[in-house]
Amino acid sequence: MVVRKMNGLERVMTALRLKEPDRVPHFERIAGKVREGILPGASEEDFVEHMDLDGIRFIDRTHSWSYETVDEAKRIKRDQWGGLVRYTSEDNPVPVEPAIKSEKDLENYVLPDPDEEWRYEYLKQLAKRFKGERAIVVGVTDIFALGRENILGDVGYFRAMVKNPDFIYRTSEIILDYQLRYMRNCSELGVDIFWVNGDWAMTERPMVSREFTEKFLAPPFKKLVDYAHSLGVSVIKHTDGNIWPIYDTIIDAGTDGLHPIDPMAGMDIGEAKAKFGDEICLCGNVSCAFSLVSGTEEEVRQETREVIRKAGKGGGLICMSSNSIHSGVNPKNYLAMVKAIREFGQYPLVLD
Amino acid sequence: MNLEELSQAVVAGDIDAAEKLTKEAIASHIPIADILGAGLVPGLRRVGELFEKGEYYLPELIVSGDAVARALDYLEPMMGQKGASYMGRYLIGTVQGDVHDLGKNIVIMMLRGNGWEVTDLGVDVSPQEFCSAVSTGDYQIVGISSLLTMTMVNAAKIIEALKAAGVRDKVKVMVGGAPTTAEWAAQIGADAHAKDGPMAAIVAAELVGKS
Repeated sequence: MVVRKMNGLERVMTALRLKEPDRVPHFERIAGKVREGILPGASEEDFVEHMDLDGIRFIDRTHSWSYETVDEAKRIKRDQWGGLVRYTSEDNPVPVEPAIKSEKDLENYVLPDPDEEWRYEYLKQLAKRFKGERAIVVGVTDIFALGRENILGDVGYFRAMVKNPDFIYRTSEIILDYQLRYMRNCSELGVDIFWVNGDWAMTERPMVSREFTEKFLAPPFKKLVDYAHSLGVSVIKHTDGNIWPIYDTIIDAGTDGLHPIDPMAGMDIGEAKAKFGDEICLCGNVSCAFSLVSGTEEEVRQETREVIRKAGKGGGLICMSSNSIHSGVNPKNYLAMVKAIREFGQYPLVLD
Repeated sequence: MNLEELSQAVVAGDIDAAEKLTKEAIASHIPIADILGAGLVPGLRRVGELFEKGEYYLPELIVSGDAVARALDYLEPMMGQKGASYMGRYLIGTVQGDVHDLGKNIVIMMLRGNGWEVTDLGVDVSPQEFCSAVSTGDYQIVGISSLLTMTMVNAAKIIEALKAAGVRDKVKVMVGGAPTTAEWAAQIGADAHAKDGPMAAIVAAELVGKS
């Protein structure tokens, strides 16, 4: 059978529709240090084109949120939600002080304006350069993650789940209002996929019980998914950790894809394929904790082959790392992964 | 009075009950060591068991921790008096490059509730800061937390720095955090590994022979 060569967008969208593209698609969030190790001086967009990746990521936290510096030496800034974040060596803003600490704070809370034009400048650039050719994947921070990390803080959020559920509901409604308007604006500029970012689980287990997952996490996530679909945009949900006890709540919300099927948490992509691979597209899961960091190129090649063998059959796989290509990944190993996807990921697969 | 009720208040995360019962116990001249040993510690042990069994999750740990913290507000000022003593002194911090503190804070809550005097160095702590604190302080255990795979390597650097400064043998070193394993802990020369907060309190007691 001769398979027509597809472009990146077609490849990704075919996989998300659980069909076989011409080859297993791949795109990834890649740290600047790794890109520098492969194509020095290149912009992210040039790198994506150079590597012929099938999509490009627009990260809401870095590309569309505003920050003001509070302490330059400690790399602390105030984010647009009103809380404090501290930048890691990966340049990720990690929340260190929440925006809302009391009922009074919530009553007086002023939501940032999602309609400010500057938020979408980079997205416009991506759309101009890649629209129709490669998937434009826009980050939307999960309502639970945003509420827990930036708005109420971990402790405040978890405490309120037990002691003051109404506080969570009201906070979620506020955040949802922003996120839905943000999604609408992105859809008008050409987004292909919303990447709903935010962990629901830890390595050993979900963060909260199934009861709380169904009560607090799943309903606002479903609203994001339903709204995305009403705009004609697909959704990939990201969550690290062991989600076996709650995976059905994510699938039932209607997401089109799930990332990364965390191997560190004991999530086997072959088992995921058997359990729900006929319902949603699997996105993952070459280990960025081990093989991509400290393995040999041959080990990466074999692990990538194994991921494709286990989860690629019949389509419905976007081969990616198990979280992201962070700065600790060996650039040669990332190249080995991409090369292996091209080597073993041609449909029809011949791997068994 | 029955300290079992205090244990139950901890398990239920009932802050008001924990406060009331602690005040009553103090007023009844119950020794601090007994309030801890027959009230808070069994409660926290039960919370840990429920967490390990998958019946409790992070929200339940947090509210139980709130109840313990409220009780300790009354008990800690009296530690060191009337024969009440700490289990020991524990130094803890999150490795350099990592600014996550939820896991570390749950460990601190568990340790304090079990009678440890805890010094928290905070997040993004350099090997030099750990060394300096160990050199100048009198700690039995150093706890190193790492949530991120990419910063795990910095735990090994702390142990190396303690060796280089000649203070490694002054303390036991415990490591923990989401991506860490017992095998990795042994590889980098730590004395012990704890996979979560409840386990950290158990392992710490074992390390000083008070389990």
